[in-house]
Amino acid sequence: MRVPLIVKVGTFALAVMGVYAYYANSIPQIQSTLPEELSLEGGNVTPEQLVKAGEGIFKGKGTCEICHRIGQKGTRAPDLAGIGAAAAKRKPGMSAKAYIIESLLDPGAYLVEGYPGIMPKVDRPPIGLNRSELWATVAFLQSMAGTVDVKLDDIPKTAGAVVGAEGAAQGAELKLPGDPKAGQVVFMGKGACIACHKAGAIGASPIGPDLSQIAKIQTPEYIMAKILDPAGMGTVAGYPPNLMPPTLGQTLTAKEYIDLVSFLLTLKGEASAQAPAASKR
Amino acid sequence: MQLDVIKSPSGPMRNFQTRATLLLAGILLVVAGPAWAQGTPGGQTEAYRSFPLIGSRLAVWGAAQLHLYFAAFILGVPMFAIIVEFIGWRTQDTRYDWLARQFMKLTFAAYSATALLGGLLTFIFITLYPRFFGYLVEIFGPTMWMYAGLFFVETFTLYLYYYGWDWLSGPRKGIHLGLGVLLNIWGTILMFVANAWLTFMMSPSGVDEAGKLTSLWGAIYNPTWMPINVHRLIANITFGGAIVAAYAAFRFLGARTDEERAQYDWMGYVGNFVAVSSLLFLPFAGYWLGREIYAFNQTMGITMMGGFMSWLWVVQAILIGVLFIGSNYYLWLGMERIPGSERYRPYIPYLVMILAAGFIVWATPRSMVATLEETRAMGGTHHPVLGVLGVMSAKNTAVNLMILTTFVSFLLYRRANRVATVSWVRSGMTAQWIIMGVAAAVVTFYGVYGYFVESIVRIGFSVYQVLSVLAAIVCVMAIDFPMFRRARSTGAIRWGQIAPRSQYVLILLAVSFTWLMGLMGFARSGIRQHWHVYGILRDTSPEAVTPALGYAANMITAVTAIFLAFVVLIFWLGGLGERGAKG
Ligand code: HEC
Ligand code: HEC
Ligand code: HEM
Repeated sequence: MRVPLIVKVGTFALAVMGVYAYYANSIPQIQSTLPEELSLEGGNVTPEQLVKAGEGIFKGKGTCEICHRIGQKGTRAPDLAGIGAAAAKRKPGMSAKAYIIESLLDPGAYLVEGYPGIMPKVDRPPIGLNRSELWATVAFLQSMAGTVDVKLDDIPKTAGAVVGAEGAAQGAELKLPGDPKAGQVVFMGKGACIACHKAGAIGASPIGPDLSQIAKIQTPEYIMAKILDPAGMGTVAGYPPNLMPPTLGQTLTAKEYIDLVSFLLTLKGEASAQAPAASKR
Repeated sequence: MQLDVIKSPSGPMRNFQTRATLLLAGILLVVAGPAWAQGTPGGQTEAYRSFPLIGSRLAVWGAAQLHLYFAAFILGVPMFAIIVEFIGWRTQDTRYDWLARQFMKLTFAAYSATALLGGLLTFIFITLYPRFFGYLVEIFGPTMWMYAGLFFVETFTLYLYYYGWDWLSGPRKGIHLGLGVLLNIWGTILMFVANAWLTFMMSPSGVDEAGKLTSLWGAIYNPTWMPINVHRLIANITFGGAIVAAYAAFRFLGARTDEERAQYDWMGYVGNFVAVSSLLFLPFAGYWLGREIYAFNQTMGITMMGGFMSWLWVVQAILIGVLFIGSNYYLWLGMERIPGSERYRPYIPYLVMILAAGFIVWATPRSMVATLEETRAMGGTHHPVLGVLGVMSAKNTAVNLMILTTFVSFLLYRRANRVATVSWVRSGMTAQWIIMGVAAAVVTFYGVYGYFVESIVRIGFSVYQVLSVLAAIVCVMAIDFPMFRRARSTGAIRWGQIAPRSQYVLILLAVSFTWLMGLMGFARSGIRQHWHVYGILRDTSPEAVTPALGYAANMITAVTAIFLAFVVLIFWLGGLGERGAKG
């Protein structure tokens, strides 16, 4: 029996692609993994743990190794071995700690001689380290021939927080295991937040600030802390202090708390987008 | 000479209705998109929905890639057609006109498929990725309208061009060609608009840190827009030629008469010629694109070339090697049907050697990798062999020499049955060889020198290498044309008398090229990693992990197979028409 031409050609084409696919499957299979959020706030971490976490960020989420090597001079970026000590001598009058923090948040401020200004601001996307992660990274860098004395408070509050709308906050939102819908129920029910706050389409009380945009203007860390310790986080200008109940930390269960935060993190002030959608329905 | 069945009364009407419906559906989808995307209760946009069975990622991947293949087809084939029609007009050789027309006929069916898939893709975006699509609409809304409008205008022009063929012949041929050019201009603008969206995702600009639009033009003219425009434009011409050649090969293999064989042999040759001539320019455009990506974001550039994608370029290199070696092999096989070509046969082994060496260098992976895990996977940062050959300097040199070699093959082919009669043949030929020698020397010099300078400087070198190769090609041709003008012929090309395996080479080229397009599409969207819009809108769906190469390759193979099956179907339908017309 004669094999029809189409079968011959088809087999040939499939064989060709099969070879390509086979080859592509036979070489090392590398996935691009997702960065994970690290939060160290509130918890007790020893300097050792911090340094270890920092090393993990250096090699992982920070993608620092794309450019930097430790103990090996690269053409792309300076060797970071001994940076804990070297950093003290970079800028006259600037401590090692301050210099390291500056070189992460504003790499262009001081260029190491012989290297181009290609380093990205590491608290901004796409790397987008948060404050905890910056803290750990700095500790790790200090640990190389220096003393680890960095505190979370040394990292500016503005670091890693600005990109609210679509970037970091959104990433954090979905990292939380909470359920925003359940959180909304807590907001309106057990938490009684609705008595004082407006949040998007729900609530109207003017006693406390309108929370419709809270996820956009505040960091997740701040929101989480504010619920547990309203007074400790300062008072929003123009509102009376000590009015927001300080006992929420005791009354809410862990699940309710997480759900509530998840809900608050969905509040991005898309008020303008809501109106037409609502009228359409 | 070819009477077309599409002219039968029921045909065009039906076609038109289907297409109009599709178009309308497409426009509605684009327009309804934003409203739909926001229409969940409470005003909060749900970010993702999932697609049954295969998941959203594969759904959008498959639809996008198929749509792109067809789009490349309907952009590439008309480009091919207009070139061929023009040649036919100038040379008064009716074969060319016939060829152009044949292909426009096939474009019709592919056109509907493109529209259908485009609609499907939009639908998938709106339903499965509402937040992301909503964001894109927020940025690019006006251009989406423009896109829909252009599509309409293009359809209209296509109809005029195709159905006006007979009416606009003879003295009015110029107008017809003008319409063809117009058709291609619409198509190109259309592609540029779509490119703006996808390059924005890779290298966003014209927006502030929070992703709010500050300048629409800034968003369109983002850093990788022009390089991708150019790279794709060229690639589409190559693609058009390659598909035409494969079609011809298929018909050749199934031909029953010598006359048919001669016709399709010739058609395959022309298709391949167009494909190879444009292929020569792709590496240049590719390097420009690569450089822009580096300039936009070092991290992204390094991830692309040295990070988790480093192996992709090895696979790319193998495919490009197949393309170069395959097209040379086809030319050499083709020389056998040309009396007088024996003179040039001794050169071929040398050409093979250069190509093979270039291929090996080009396929050597780059040693720089991003994480320890990857380093381990690749076998150490500084693999003994990879270290020296795996860098850009060596690769640039290799690919430029491969281009020169392919050009030499073509030159030999061109003069296979001709003996120049002008008095200055000797000096002319010497000059040609010197020019090519100089170009090769310049390429090699910068290749070696590249090892001793910083990468920033080295990137500049590739420009000199490219320019010297281009200049050599232009100069050599400038000598070649007058030199062989009144050449003595050693016999006519015996069209149709070519080994059947040459036709399989043509099919191999088309399949490889299509697969390569799929692979590079994966590269483009893969380098964004877990971002929808790099650095601005994160992919927070469960499928945000960018898969490894093997997985991608399987997917590309599946989609390419589906595409090729569709193309065969279209060709088959075209063939039916022909039979009908003859009978
Ligand atoms: C795209 C390449 C690139 C990436 C990614 C990168 N850097 Fe850098 N980095 C550089 C370059 C280049 C310099 C030197 C120029 C300068 O000072 O900005 C530098 C300088 C530094 C310095 C100052 C070194 C000194 O000797 O003064 C520190 C500290 C540093 N980087 C830490 C990091 C950390 C931590 C990360 C990961 C979160 C990182 N870098 C990611 C390129 C990069
Ligand atoms: C008795 C009224 C009251 C209740 C109940 C209440 N709050 Fe508040 N809240 C306030 C006032 C007043 C402020 C502003 C003063 C301040 O910062 O303490 C505030 C501030 C806040 C802020 C900071 C807003 C900003 O712009 O920085 C957040 C977040 C917040 N509340 C969340 C909640 C949540 C969540 C609940 C429910 C679990 C809740 N509040 C319940 C009165 C209340
Ligand atoms: C011999 C050299 C090359 C050939 C033959 C080639 C071929 C191709 C082809 C066929 C496509 C698909 C075009 C389309 O979808 O319309 C493509 C796309 C692409 N190429 Fe190349 N290329 C070459 C070099 C390069 C280089 C050197 C780079 C970068 C460093 C590069 C980067 C890309 C990218 C990112 C795309 C994706 C564009 C897209 O589909 O969206 N190419 N290339």
